[in-house]
Amino acid sequence: MTLNHSHSSNLAVVAKDLTRCFGNFTAVDNLQLEVSRGEIFGFLGANGAGKTTAIRMFCGLLKPTSGEAWVDGLPISRDSEKIKRRIGYMSQRFSLYDDLLIEENANFFGGVYGLSKKEIELRIAEQFERLGLTKQKRTLTSELPLGFKQRLALACAMMHRPRLLFLDEPTGGVDPIARREFWDLIYETAEDGATVFVTTHYMDEAEYCSRVSIMKDGKIVALGVPAELKRKHGTQTMEDLFLKLVGVSGESGESVE
Amino acid sequence: MRRILAVARKETRHILRDPRSLAVAIAMPLIMVVLYGYAIDMELKRLTVAFLDLDRTPASSELQMEITSSNFITPVQAIPNRSEIESGFRRGMFRAVVVIPEGYSEKLATSLESPVQILIDGADGSTAAVVDNYLNAAIARINRKLASEAFGVETLPIEARTRILFNPQLISAHFVVPGLVALVLVMICALLTSIAIARERETGTLEQMLTSPVAPAQVIVGKVLPYIVIGAIDAALILAVGRFVFDVPMNGSWFVLAGYTILYIIISLGLGLLISTFAKTQQVAMIAALMGTLLPTLILSGFLFATSSMPFMLRQISKLIPATYYLRIIRGLMLKGQLWFPFETVALVTLGTVILSVAIFRFKERLD
Amino acid sequence: MKTIITIVRKEFQQILRDKGMLRMIVAVPIIQLFIFAYAVTTDLKNVKLAYVDHDRTSESRQLVDAFFTSGYFTSVGMAENQTKLMSWLMEGKADITLNIPIGYAEGIVRGNVSDVGLIVDGQNSSLSGRGRGYAEAIIRTEAAKLMENKRLEHPELETKMHRIVPVTRYYYNPELESKKYMVPAIVVLLISIISGMLTGMAVVKEKEVGTLEQLMVTPITPMQFIAGKTIPFIFIAFFELAFASLIAIFFFKIPFEGSVLLMIAAAILYLQVTLGAGLLASTVSQIQQQAMFTVWFFLLFGILMSGFFYPVENMPKWIYMLTYLNPVRHFMEIMRGIFLKGVTFSDIIPQFALLFGLGTLIFGTAVIKFRKMND
Repeated sequence: MTLNHSHSSNLAVVAKDLTRCFGNFTAVDNLQLEVSRGEIFGFLGANGAGKTTAIRMFCGLLKPTSGEAWVDGLPISRDSEKIKRRIGYMSQRFSLYDDLLIEENANFFGGVYGLSKKEIELRIAEQFERLGLTKQKRTLTSELPLGFKQRLALACAMMHRPRLLFLDEPTGGVDPIARREFWDLIYETAEDGATVFVTTHYMDEAEYCSRVSIMKDGKIVALGVPAELKRKHGTQTMEDLFLKLVGVSGESGESVE
Repeated sequence: MRRILAVARKETRHILRDPRSLAVAIAMPLIMVVLYGYAIDMELKRLTVAFLDLDRTPASSELQMEITSSNFITPVQAIPNRSEIESGFRRGMFRAVVVIPEGYSEKLATSLESPVQILIDGADGSTAAVVDNYLNAAIARINRKLASEAFGVETLPIEARTRILFNPQLISAHFVVPGLVALVLVMICALLTSIAIARERETGTLEQMLTSPVAPAQVIVGKVLPYIVIGAIDAALILAVGRFVFDVPMNGSWFVLAGYTILYIIISLGLGLLISTFAKTQQVAMIAALMGTLLPTLILSGFLFATSSMPFMLRQISKLIPATYYLRIIRGLMLKGQLWFPFETVALVTLGTVILSVAIFRFKERLD
Repeated sequence: MKTIITIVRKEFQQILRDKGMLRMIVAVPIIQLFIFAYAVTTDLKNVKLAYVDHDRTSESRQLVDAFFTSGYFTSVGMAENQTKLMSWLMEGKADITLNIPIGYAEGIVRGNVSDVGLIVDGQNSSLSGRGRGYAEAIIRTEAAKLMENKRLEHPELETKMHRIVPVTRYYYNPELESKKYMVPAIVVLLISIISGMLTGMAVVKEKEVGTLEQLMVTPITPMQFIAGKTIPFIFIAFFELAFASLIAIFFFKIPFEGSVLLMIAAAILYLQVTLGAGLLASTVSQIQQQAMFTVWFFLLFGILMSGFFYPVENMPKWIYMLTYLNPVRHFMEIMRGIFLKGVTFSDIIPQFALLFGLGTLIFGTAVIKFRKMND
């Protein structure tokens, strides 16, 4: 299983027949996907559609049952350790240490990615300035409001200047203003040349993406530029498009629990 | 009543669904009873003794034979000289050395007294005392024999006629197993209930329940009901194992025992409730229950260690632990056949009343 | 290496910030050390003795006095008859009773044997057994004294009398205080709890909060994670060891006869066991409480079968054989040996070898299971 080199060089993520089963349940079913560099790629789908499973495979947290994917040109089945150095990952639960100062959190993640002390200082100054965290440097992370925690998690995930950023529902649970501000940060990141791969529940956020895919039952049911997709399926908003493709049952089936 | 049962049913489902808590509730007591029953054996059965025979005469060999004829004394390889004694102690090869000095047999034949040296590894003081007892008793036996050979009659002027009551064979399990009931009931009733209540508090379901038409008292009774049942089952299991595996006797009345056990369960639940009023999280509840109830019951109630040997302060603390009195009752009933416990009953009832009233008062206060 | 240092530093930042954790590391062990040292005693003291003296002669009084001057028995009073003694035993007012019959003194004078009745409450088999031993020894000594008197009255018997006189000497702990034996074992208990439980909880905490997953998408390898996570607890365990040992030596006056280096070497081997156990517990637990329970359960098992309270030789043969697989037992023997007996390495090679083997096995299994868990 090889990939045409010239083709892959401008692709950030490629999935080919990517499948993952848990027992009898197929969470990701023969996924085919190509994401170009510099894109903000929206990865949509109802709860349980398989988004998180796919992202976890791309990040090397899960091994595929069959098929293959390439992240930054590297196959996930063999090079997951190398991939980890090149990507940033931020999950739906902001995985920060609540009992560390926010500066200590950033310091720690910088160290984890093998940055030198000087680099870390530089990155912290730069990132905290950009994300508006400089004043709270010495605050205990648990005391930060949720919106700021998200920014900090983003800062931590980007300490090592990853070429590719995976964001798994980064904006869950915060108010619209904070979400808006967070998306501004995502834009800036993409402008700096990084690829952003993001999953979300909020269909207004899907509108901000350069391209989106919609997943249902482990398969992609739609893929393209938001405006084109809406036109193709004759819907006004992404929300309508989502409901049309995924069906109302998709969301409500989950919310019982 | 129906509401109480609804809460109880829900709690039972919680317990049954979580295999871990079920394991703690049922398997742990069983494992503990077997473990404690076998592992805590206080009786020294194999006393390893080495001989250093510097006399090397028939008389000295006879002395060795006489000493080792005791069932408890296991001879190990004789040591050649004194320098081996300490290294043997350090390696734990034997617990005592009997040194038969040169000229032992000659002295025994000609003079009044013939000394023999007994060297004991005293690190473990209480075992050393037993070792000393065994060896001295063995030598006393030999002396009596020597005397009767000389005079033709038994001449020791005083003879102790010893009778041991309540546990004539001095079987450790008969002492330990009834005590385990007290320990396990505290563990189940205080530890599990305080955690269960803290969990409801943590997840907010307690508040949910209290906003429903169920009265707080009903919630509490319903919540603890399953634990009363589990506690009773555990007590029965332990007693059954004690009876059939370790042959612990029942000289009193099962009926009286059941009565006191229910009283003790209620007190333990009160302790659990009391802890839950202090603990906001399961973690804190667990640590508080371990430190505040289980540990004191384990070491300060007389479960294994006699309170009479403890310093004054600890003896006072032990008087505040319900298990202290329950232990006396259960052992009194099973081993002694005692049926009347006026002092212990008063103490238990008083402690129980205080604990339960404080717990209920604090619980109500926290709800307001 | 740099990555490991990063994790270690973070771990210390977290520990130092957590007041509850600090309490657990500093205050709780001290309290435990003190309470255990005083409460976990197998000394025989204050045995309650009741007696009935039907003879009321100077000889019978002499026997009673011998009991109370021995230091083991305290008087709960003289009863008027045997029935009273029995009821005191039943009520728990007395542990041992002594009954001196009428004619006791006369029998001795006439050269007959006088029987003395001892009744022992046998419930606590260990204390009863020893109490009985002491009581009988007192009676034997008393008898020997009377024999001596008789001998003085009848010098012609002297040539016919021979007896063996045992001269006892105790090594290491001449006063036979159980404290000396228990305190080094309590030190073992403390570092087991601290290192095992805290490691387990610290790892599970990362799992619970989700930071473990975050770390797994970074270039940290599982080995680096394990190293970074356990090294702080090695430091803490050694701090604990030093701290508790100093209290043992200077406050409890426990002798320290052996070598500090040997103790450190043994502790390193033992930490493999406790850290491995903590790590293993973390692989089967989802929340900190489960990890705590799991470690506690195995620790309890290990302590019960270690000879902490009573010698392992007392156990049934099959359990005794199993105790060889118990690392707690070996470390406890080493520590007691180092403190009290001044053991050298050559004395404890078997314990060292077993500790090393078991430690490697437990830690190795933990590492393998941990790596599997993250696949």
